[in-house]
Amino acid sequence: MKTDLQQNIIDATQNVFDTMLMLPITSGEPLADKVYQFKDSVSGMLGFSGDIQGMLTIHCPQKVAFAITEQLLGMSVASVDEDVKDTIGEMANMILGGIKDAFLHQGTDINLAIPTVMAGRSYQVKGVDYASWTTVPFCLNDGEFLVELKLKTLK
Amino acid sequence: MDLQKHITDATTEIFETMIMLDINAGDPIVEKINNFKRSVSGVIGLAGSCKGMLAIHLPDKVAMSITGSFLGMDVTEVNDDVTDAIGELANMVAGNIKMILDEKGNNVTVSIPSCVHGDEYTLDTVSDSKRVVIPFNIESGQFLVELQIKN
Repeated sequence: MKTDLQQNIIDATQNVFDTMLMLPITSGEPLADKVYQFKDSVSGMLGFSGDIQGMLTIHCPQKVAFAITEQLLGMSVASVDEDVKDTIGEMANMILGGIKDAFLHQGTDINLAIPTVMAGRSYQVKGVDYASWTTVPFCLNDGEFLVELKLKTLK
Repeated sequence: MDLQKHITDATTEIFETMIMLDINAGDPIVEKINNFKRSVSGVIGLAGSCKGMLAIHLPDKVAMSITGSFLGMDVTEVNDDVTDAIGELANMVAGNIKMILDEKGNNVTVSIPSCVHGDEYTLDTVSDSKRVVIPFNIESGQFLVELQIKN
């Protein structure tokens, strides 16, 4: 049984891949543990506030980030350049846009900030201890990526 | 909007009232800085009538000294205490900037903070936005506060 949040992440991500990228993806079981550590990856992060505060992050191994960028822009990429960063930031924007619509349908209004993109050989992305995490893995031909939604929990 | 003054005022107030460390603001940095080595970056989004993001970038050593002063304990490695403290620092500075922007007729709310740590990473925003970076000096070194606002 999937929670609403898991379903919101899956629907929004699936929709972006179906309509913008035309790349088939499959969603996996939500991860029980938080994932902090990333190697040779690109992460797009976008904060939001309003009725609830939170952050959406998409974590892609470089190979997956390249495949997504090549598919979206129709050109080949070989390094984590501006095109790749812009694309992964825009992915966060599009996925969270879908989640925003789903939230609004459920009576919750959120406003989006601007996306930030991290990249590097080895880095950690931590949250705060008062946030709940929902992380869903997705598979495409070139590997796996994660979409993570952190929400501020009511104290 | 005088973003430079907003950043300086908000950051100085947090250090004086919450961290209890003397700081000095430097001149804004014009060059693009997006590559960080052995550093900690606290990042938080701003949304509402203007949207943007605030980031604080600190070398490991400076992040540890601020955490030590904030929590009143010795800190010798970048552990969860440090990443929590730097996330909270971004939250506090952004909260102050939110109040300044609201006084000027905006209606801004902040997201939750996130904290990045690594030996070498890049951090970029991808929208066309107004960007101001101010360096601050404390005894243990220099850190940067970056504010980007999209109108």
